[in-house]
Amino acid sequence: MPYTNQAAALIHSVKAVGERLIAANPVELAVGNVVRRVLHIVREEDLSLTTAAMAGLNLSAESDDEDDTDRDNHPALSAAAIAAASRSTLRPPSLQTLLEDVPDSAAVPHTSSSGGDSEGKSKSADKSSRSRKLKHDVIEAVNELIQDISTCHELIAEQAVEHIHQNEVILTLGSSRTVLEFLCAAKEKKRSFRVFVAEGAPRYQGHLLAKELVTRGLQTTLITDSAVFAMISRVNMVIVGAHAVMANGGVIAPVGLNMVALAAQKHAVPFVVLAGSHKLCPLYPHHPEVLLNELRSPSELLDFGEFSDCLDFGSGIGAPLLHVVNPTFDYVPPKLVSLFITDTGGHNPSYMYRLIADYYSADDLVLERRTTSGN
Amino acid sequence: MWWRSASFILDRQQHQNRTVAPSPESFLLSSPPPMADSPLNPKSNISAYYQTRAAHHAVVTTDWLAQAQAAVGRHSDDDGSLGGDKGAARIGGGGGGEEEGSGKAFSVIDEFNSWRKQPALAEAVAAIRALAAVIRTSGAATMMELEIELKKASDSLKSWDTTSISLTAGCDLFMLYVTRTSALEYEDFNSAKSRLIERAEKFGEISCKARRIIAMLSQDFFFDGCTILVHGFSRVVLEVLKTAAENKKHFRVLCTEGRPDRTGLRFSNELAKLDVPVKLLIDSAVAYTMDEVDVVLFGADGVVESGGIINMMGTFQIALVAHSMNKPVYVAAESYKFARHYPLDQKDMSPARRPIDFGVPIPSKVEVETSARDYTPPQYLTLLFTDLGVLTPSVISDELIQLYL
Repeated sequence: MPYTNQAAALIHSVKAVGERLIAANPVELAVGNVVRRVLHIVREEDLSLTTAAMAGLNLSAESDDEDDTDRDNHPALSAAAIAAASRSTLRPPSLQTLLEDVPDSAAVPHTSSSGGDSEGKSKSADKSSRSRKLKHDVIEAVNELIQDISTCHELIAEQAVEHIHQNEVILTLGSSRTVLEFLCAAKEKKRSFRVFVAEGAPRYQGHLLAKELVTRGLQTTLITDSAVFAMISRVNMVIVGAHAVMANGGVIAPVGLNMVALAAQKHAVPFVVLAGSHKLCPLYPHHPEVLLNELRSPSELLDFGEFSDCLDFGSGIGAPLLHVVNPTFDYVPPKLVSLFITDTGGHNPSYMYRLIADYYSADDLVLERRTTSGN
Repeated sequence: MWWRSASFILDRQQHQNRTVAPSPESFLLSSPPPMADSPLNPKSNISAYYQTRAAHHAVVTTDWLAQAQAAVGRHSDDDGSLGGDKGAARIGGGGGGEEEGSGKAFSVIDEFNSWRKQPALAEAVAAIRALAAVIRTSGAATMMELEIELKKASDSLKSWDTTSISLTAGCDLFMLYVTRTSALEYEDFNSAKSRLIERAEKFGEISCKARRIIAMLSQDFFFDGCTILVHGFSRVVLEVLKTAAENKKHFRVLCTEGRPDRTGLRFSNELAKLDVPVKLLIDSAVAYTMDEVDVVLFGADGVVESGGIINMMGTFQIALVAHSMNKPVYVAAESYKFARHYPLDQKDMSPARRPIDFGVPIPSKVEVETSARDYTPPQYLTLLFTDLGVLTPSVISDELIQLYL
């Protein structure tokens, strides 16, 4: 499929692969996030290259054709104006762009074609070198992204000292690597504090976390999930990890955390969520309990041996009378969250839209490809 | 306290002293035969904004208006003497020195009114179209001159109806765009001028496009079998529900009666045409039915900087009830309704008064609260659906800052 624009070709191929990746596991939102980040990177790099090229071309054109009066017939928009307008396409639609119009793509080659024939050869050479440069820049930026994702734990853990103080009691549920490193970082800075770990049924990963914390030298108490409400009044802060953070500031978290958040709100305990920026999703949660949830095997709850007659379809009664529901995730609404700690710092739930505008482009929110004739 | 000043008794006496017996001119004004020529006295006790709304929907007849004016006659201010001739010429402060100014502004207000008569067109869009007409008919030779003319026209529009938020917002938006455009280097003044006119006319299309975008964005927030509570008559909300009905969503709508505008009756009429199950409630029955409601949906007259909205009287009440029962409150508003206004309480806006017909004559000693709109603070709103996307209330001030700084 011939594209005059190298960036558009890149975006198309990334979208094609991204669509399939997302379709493979829609509940794993981080996949979609990363695809959209890459698309945003491509657009940004293309924009910065175009701006630089435009500025360079305009300058050289002006110096060569000072006496050319033909250029006065059509409105000569300066490179700054074009760049400003193009930048507005990258940002999500805003009041500013409401009245402004993007200069048509026809306008851009128009001004460049006014540069004169002497520029013709150097232009085509520029173009191919530009496309090579674009790929190079994009690959560099994607490597940076990979780097950011792998180091997010350290960046979050660095902020631990500001939030955990001496002689505090921290509550967490289940096991999260980010939380583990966060707590250990505070321990290393010689803060002494205690941790309550709720076991996180039915997977009981809280047991693993408790063991880890003890080996690192932290005073730990293990409780059941049902005991959270009883113990919350003794707790200074709740610190948990997240599976995904949605655009309204709501959190998709391991099951049981909505209950902990409600308990924390009731007793005015700060509820802090740790999440790397790759977990920030630009979509709004519609029915997250159903649409963004995964139902796991009932065997985690019940032993098939004892309950086989209740769960069995072929037992003569028709449909089984016993249903087992084992959801993996919980949705915590934004008003229950006090603070998000990401690798860029601590933020309010109402601030999430800002980060989304920084990391994602509005055009990438829906990743369906339009039907192309070539395919 | 009803009045701002502590010496409200003194004020009231002064007020009554200044009241003139209802002049025959003001009656003439309020009952012109064809609606299209009605000069719409801006200084009357009825806010011009609501006069046009009534004219659009043709529920409130001009005789009714006259009756209502008589009923609340003791509130008529001292402008009985100002009635009479073309109310349009009375723009913010009289004086003979404004002759040529009033000549030009005459056409702005007229133009604005003629655009506003179209029921599908929003106020802000009509204002921008009127300002575009000013550019077209202007004799300015430089951008600076043009800007000054536009500023004058925009100010006269704004002072003509001080109560309309979206009018102010539309004028401000266009003025900002003009100043920004002139900052770009254009070789030719005429091309800049034509570009401004072209953008302003395109803006009109944005009005319809905006409603469609909002309708599209909001579809996911209504699930099958949900119950939606609406208040007031908003064309955007109607578009949202129309689109949902077209997409074969099953939902039902509870409509508040919306006294005294009877918006509920009009709205339920429209919905009945779409075959959507509608139930009418009196305004006081909202809390009673709130537990069967899944979603509350409002339009907005204006969206203020704090992220709150200004809407028909009763909106705040419903939002409070919904908040206390944990129901999501959604607002559908186009982005040109964002205004640089930060009301701290209900009385912080210029009051838009609207006569209320109680059906029986009210003794003169009894006061009537005639304000037509209220302010809903942002903490009671869940999300705003705008053509800029789905926004939380905290985004609004960010957007406005980006625009104005």
